[in-house]
This record gives sequence, structure tokens and C-alpha cells, in this order.
Amino acid sequence: MAPTDTPQTTATHGPGIRAAGRATVDVALRVGGLFAAVIVVAIIFIIINPAFANPNLAVSVLRSMSSVAIMAMGLTLVIVVGEIDLSFGAMYGLAANSLAVMWIVGGVPVYLAIPLVLCIGAVVGLFNGVLVTSIKIPSFIVTLGSYNLLYGLSLWVTNSGTFNPVYPPPGSTMDQGQLDFFIGLTQNIGAYRLSIEVFWMIGIAIVVGFLLHRTLFGFRLTAIGGNPTAGQLARLPVKRYKILAFVLCGVLASIAGMLDFSFIQTTQPDIGLSQTFPVFAAVIIGGASLTGGKGTIIGTLGGALLLAELQIGLALLSPGPHVQQIFLGAVTIGAVALDLFLTRIRKSRAA
Amino acid sequence: MTDVLEKGISLRGVTKTYGSTVALAQLDLDLRPGEVLGVAGPNGAGKSTLVRMIAGEERPTLGTLTFDGRPWSPSVEWQAVAVVHQEPQLFPNLTVAENVMVGREASGTRRPKLGAADAAVMEALGIGDLRNRALEDCSLATQQRTEIARAVARAARVFLFDEPNSALTAKESDELFREIHQLADSGRIVVLITHRLEDLVEQCKRVAVVRDGRVRTILEGEALTEEGLARQLVVDATVTVATDTASGATRDPNAPPVFATRGWTLPGVFSDITLHGAPNEIVALMGVEGSGARELLRSLAGLEGCGGALTINGVAGTEAIDRFTAYVPATRQFSLYSNYTVGENLLVRLGRPEIAGAAFALRKRQMKTLAEDAVKRFMVKTGSITQPIRSLSGGNQQKVAIAQALNCSPKLLLLEEPTRGVDIHSKSEIYRLLETFAAEGNSVVMFCTEVLEIYEAAHRVHVVSEGRLSPPLAIADYDHVEQLATDITRLEGEQRGGAVAAAE
Repeated sequence: MAPTDTPQTTATHGPGIRAAGRATVDVALRVGGLFAAVIVVAIIFIIINPAFANPNLAVSVLRSMSSVAIMAMGLTLVIVVGEIDLSFGAMYGLAANSLAVMWIVGGVPVYLAIPLVLCIGAVVGLFNGVLVTSIKIPSFIVTLGSYNLLYGLSLWVTNSGTFNPVYPPPGSTMDQGQLDFFIGLTQNIGAYRLSIEVFWMIGIAIVVGFLLHRTLFGFRLTAIGGNPTAGQLARLPVKRYKILAFVLCGVLASIAGMLDFSFIQTTQPDIGLSQTFPVFAAVIIGGASLTGGKGTIIGTLGGALLLAELQIGLALLSPGPHVQQIFLGAVTIGAVALDLFLTRIRKSRAA
Repeated sequence: MTDVLEKGISLRGVTKTYGSTVALAQLDLDLRPGEVLGVAGPNGAGKSTLVRMIAGEERPTLGTLTFDGRPWSPSVEWQAVAVVHQEPQLFPNLTVAENVMVGREASGTRRPKLGAADAAVMEALGIGDLRNRALEDCSLATQQRTEIARAVARAARVFLFDEPNSALTAKESDELFREIHQLADSGRIVVLITHRLEDLVEQCKRVAVVRDGRVRTILEGEALTEEGLARQLVVDATVTVATDTASGATRDPNAPPVFATRGWTLPGVFSDITLHGAPNEIVALMGVEGSGARELLRSLAGLEGCGGALTINGVAGTEAIDRFTAYVPATRQFSLYSNYTVGENLLVRLGRPEIAGAAFALRKRQMKTLAEDAVKRFMVKTGSITQPIRSLSGGNQQKVAIAQALNCSPKLLLLEEPTRGVDIHSKSEIYRLLETFAAEGNSVVMFCTEVLEIYEAAHRVHVVSEGRLSPPLAIADYDHVEQLATDITRLEGEQRGGAVAAAE
């Protein structure tokens, strides 16, 4: 492709797209395609079973995508900067379990326990980030290790037990005000009984989206992910930003863990572990590149939405749990394959 | 030319084009068995295309190759050709012996066994004792020998050495050249491509000078001298902006320097360097790979841990480096972000308050203005600032890389080979950018390997050799680039003599 071709090809799209530029067009197409897929899948489900055209179902899709989306946004930051985090699922579990132990068993007021759990998430992220940037252990290995480490901690603090604040173990009494506050964090409101957890997700998406797409932090984070060597040579704060990405990922995972605990009201040591790969799938379907430097919050939300939709739809059609797993796999590979295929077609057309 | 060699390789009218760029233009060259042929030429002259062509990695657009008088297609018969690079292209995780055997045909599904012939080859090259050592634990010299052994073992008849000794010690290079001559004496075709003129003169019988994609001359016998080669490398080169730079901004010799080093030392590479740069001045450091010139430049950007004193703009040490210098690496892949647009690439080194305000929020409108200004100021040819950086030509990408550094308003700009792989037109624009930047009271230091570049862009040059800095040459004193080339070669020779004398 001769470089001089580009201005002409862009020009033929008209002034609007020309001003937006190719890179933006790529993102717009990806996100547009994703939401188109969400709608197409919904229509297919409704054709199969017209009873699916029901706002309550939409509400439960939104609720069930929330915690996945919150974790996926944290993971997006880490992936954009060119690293990997495998430990957020275990962090999600540790957050719920340590909150349960502190509050239900230890009697720490929930108002204090929640910030403490957020701190644990930050410390875990710091731990991952420092090992990756200072000792230069590949992030895959560090976070694979911390995944096991955190799960071990969860088993330890809970003594392998399960907790429910509404039915505390004998000897503990729960303060009704604190219980109401905690359950209120995710209670269902409105005519369609929409969980407040969805609003948490939206609020976090606005904050993280602003951070990634509208701040100096995000601008440099994306640059570092695109070319870490250049970032180093240009004296961008490579280490600090990588650590920050891991810290934010840890904090978001602990938020997701606590919100789901509030909604489900029960916790056990191994919760969150099975979330690891669906969250990855959401980020990848959303268009982030594992090589770094590429990824959007809106894309990640779309990925999480598509997955939640498929999961609930298939569960209701009830052909068995194997179908959900097969679809999760097929959609992940298919989304990336389709993206690469379409990119290649557009590139060869431009040349 | 229709007569081709009975024995050896003949290239006739070989042309290679990439789009509108001509890398080789009607090149004719004979490679004879039993002699070491040298190839010299400035960067971008077509040397590496020539190597890739003979090694079968590229097919000629036009022209023919013959081997022993028969038409020859190296891309099919690549087994006959071995390329020994500066960085050996082997498998570091395998042992020396496994590297010699890897990829061997006809071994079927069985793991190949080391035959007596292989062992003899490794023994002859002095790596027999190391055969079971992992290659990554071996010295560079051993790795190169492994590469040679691998080629000898598969009965390669042509050996291309591409800058083979730039990272070797003097003793290792002597040994390597002994091997090279042994290969030639055994009737193989040997080509040595290097920037080191002394090696070409000492090791080769004939040296072909390649410029603008063709063989301009072949020096041999009496005519083959370092000075002669140096002149041939620059003769009738298109001088683009020499007149501009020679009459550039006036420099006040009494003005305090922008930067100065004292006792500047990087152990094992260079020592006790005293260097300064005046306001409005462009200083070139010339030296081959391994001379310490590149490391000296990088040390000024704080990329090498150096001893000694460095002051920039009256501030000393690391703080001065962080505040006042900007560095542009030699390869654009270390300065450009392929996931970013042209505009984003231009601004990526900026921070608060230039592109972000309160709460670190990006000032999008400001960014657009700044990027558009930069495109104009730095003469970047692009349809819009939102195009992907990869859509620009190499020359324009290089302008973006330099503009990115200039955007952080340094006092001292440090560049490695600022116009490597850049077309003539962009070259002169880049020189103009550097001149304009320097004329604002700043200082530029660049590491160069080409005399022409120094002649066109710099005001003063120091030759670096064996970690020592030569006395400066003022470019304004020269009316012809050939004269400068001769003097630089002389200085380099004197320096080497001095280093040898000091060592003895």
C-alpha cells in the first residue's frame, strides 16, 4: 500500500469520516458491529421463543453482566497497557469473603469493612504491578501465582466456610441498619425491579471510560501499551502507569466481589474463580488486543452485554449447560476472527 | 554485458524496485571463487537489498543471475548461500551442535545425528569443545562460528558476511578474518559487507562501491586505500543543503555552552570524554559500530550509566538530562506508536499543562491545534492528523519522530542517525528542521555513520574510535565533501594508531 494513497481513500468517504480519521472509524465499526450483534441475537431468541420479548429479561441480563463488566473494565486497563491479569477472579472472591469474615464474624462495621476491602484490592494490584515492573516477572506468571495465592487466602480466612449476613452463624448478631445498607447497595428498584448494581456498573463505566479515553493517564497508558520501548525512551512513567493499571484492576475486582455479595447475599471460598475466562472473553470480544495499546470501555461493555445475553437466553432455552460453554468459546474466537477478516478486507480495498 | 563468469556468480542488470523506490538499478557484479570481495556503500545505497537478493530472500524485478555460467535462482537454491550477520540468526535455546544440524533435510522424522563430517567442521572452527553448550551461553564470536559451521556443514558455496565484526573484540575479529580467508582459499565465494574501511582495505582483494543502487567502481591493487574508498563513497553525491548550513546562524564563540561534559566515562566503552555544544550548534559524532560513538550519544540522554560530570544549561546531572534533553532513537520503531494517529504521535511526549488540564483531563481542542501546528511547522506530509502513523512514508514518519522530541522544547536534542532510510527530499527537510531548532539558541548532537550527512547537517564533527574523541573538524572549512571524507578517515586512522600506542 503506497502511503500517498491514503489521503485520497479517506477523502472519498466524505468530510465527516475524514475528520474522524481511520483509527476512530475502526473503533466505531467494531463497537457498532458488536451492538448490532447484540440486537440480532436478541431477535433470534425472540423468534425462537416470543415470550423472550420481556423487559424483565432485559433487566436480568443487565444485572448479570454488571459484575463481569466491572471486572472486565479493570482488565481492559491492564490489557491496554500491554500486560495480563489472571488474578482478578480470585480477588473478587477474596473481597466478598474477607468482607464477610470481617463484618459477620469479626463484627467490624460494614462502613469500615468496605473501604478496608478496597484497600486489599489496591494492595493486591500493587503487589502484581511491582513484581511485574520491578522484578520483571512476566505478568502472566505473577498473576497466575497471585490467583492461587488469593484463593488460598480466601480458604484460610473463611476456614472453608460459607457466609450469609441474613443468617449469621450462631453467636453473631447483625446490626439491622448495616444489613439494610449493605443489601440496599444492589436492591431492585422501579417497576421493572432493576438492580442498583446496574447503576454502579454505569457509574464506573463513566469514570473508567473518562480515565481511559479523556485523560492524560489514559493517553499515556495506551501509548505505553502500543510501544513500551518508545515510552521508556520518551521518559513516560512506564512503571508507575503499569502499576496503576494493576491497582485499578484489583480495586474494581473487589468492588465487583462486594456488589455481587450484596446482591446474592451468600459467599463461599471459590466464588469468582469461574469468572476469570468470561471476563477475558468480554474484553477480547470488545476489541482489546492482547498485544496492548488497543481497547475501549464501550467495547468491553458490549462484550459483557453480548455474553450475558447469550448466557441467559441459552439458559432459558435450557438445552443444558454445555451449550453455554460451547457458545462462549465460539463467540470469543468468532469475534476476533471476524474482526481480523474485516480489517484485512478493508485494508486491501484501501490499497 | 553478456559475458558471464565460467566459475562464480555474475549479476547482470539486476534491478529491484519497491513501489516507486528503486533499491537496485541495473547492477552488474561478479563474485569469483577464491577471493574475498568487499562491498562498501552509504546507508540506503542498496547493499542490504543486494545481500538479500544473493541470499534468495528477494527476487530481482529485472536482470539475471548466473552461477558457473548457468542461470541461477537463489530463492530456489538458497542452500548454496550463507549469510553471517552481525547478530547471528540462530536458535539460542539449542546447543551449538544442534544448531549446526537443525533444518537438515532428509533426516526424516528422526532426530538428526551429529556425523563425523559435522564434528570435523566444528573442530576446524575451534568450537568442537563447545558443541554441547547452549548457544545463548556462548560468546558472539562462537555464535558466528556456529553460523559458519552450519553453512559449511550443508556445503554452502557462497558466504556473505554482513558487518560481521562490529561487536567483536580486536582479537576475535582477527580470528574471524582468518576463517574468512580460509573459506576463500578453499574455493568458496566470500563477500564482506562492512562500514569499516580499514577492514575492506586489509581483507579484500577487490572492493565494489555501491551507490544509488549500482556498482559505481571497483577498487583493487594500488587504488584500494582507505582514503580512496572514503572519497568514492561520497563522490558526486547530491549535496542538498550544504550551502544553507555553512552560512547558518552566527555562533558566538564566547557564549556559554549549552552542555558540557568533564571526565565523562562509560567503563569499557569510552573514558574521560570532554565534549561541549555551543548555542546554535550542531555537533556530529562519527564512528563505526563498536567505536563508542553511539553509546556516547545515548549516555547524554541518560540511557547509559556514566561516571563524570555533565551540565546542561547550568544544571548538573540527571535532573539536567530529564529537563533539557530529548532523544530520538535510530529506528522509528522505538519512537513511534503504531496504535496511534499522526497527531497523537506528535503529542505523546507532552503532559500538563500542554495537553491536559485540571484532573488530568485531556484538552482535546488544544491537542488538535497543537498537532495541526506541528504538522505545518515540521513539514509532515499527511492528509490529516487523524491518519494512522503507518500510512506515512518513511521520511515523514521520521519527521514525526523528530517533531515528537522537539515538541517537548529541549535545549539539547540528541539524534541517532537522523536520516537513515529516508528519501532525499525528506532528508533535506529534516536537516532544515535541525538547523531551525539549533538557531533558536539550542544545541544538537547527532551520531552519524555517513560523511555526507555530517557535511550537510553538522557544524562540527568529532571522530570516535576505540572510545576516544578526536579533535574537532569544522565543517565550514570544507568546500568539498570528498576532502572532509579524507580528513575524517585520516583522523580515524590516527586515533587507532594512538590507541594502539597507548595500549602498548
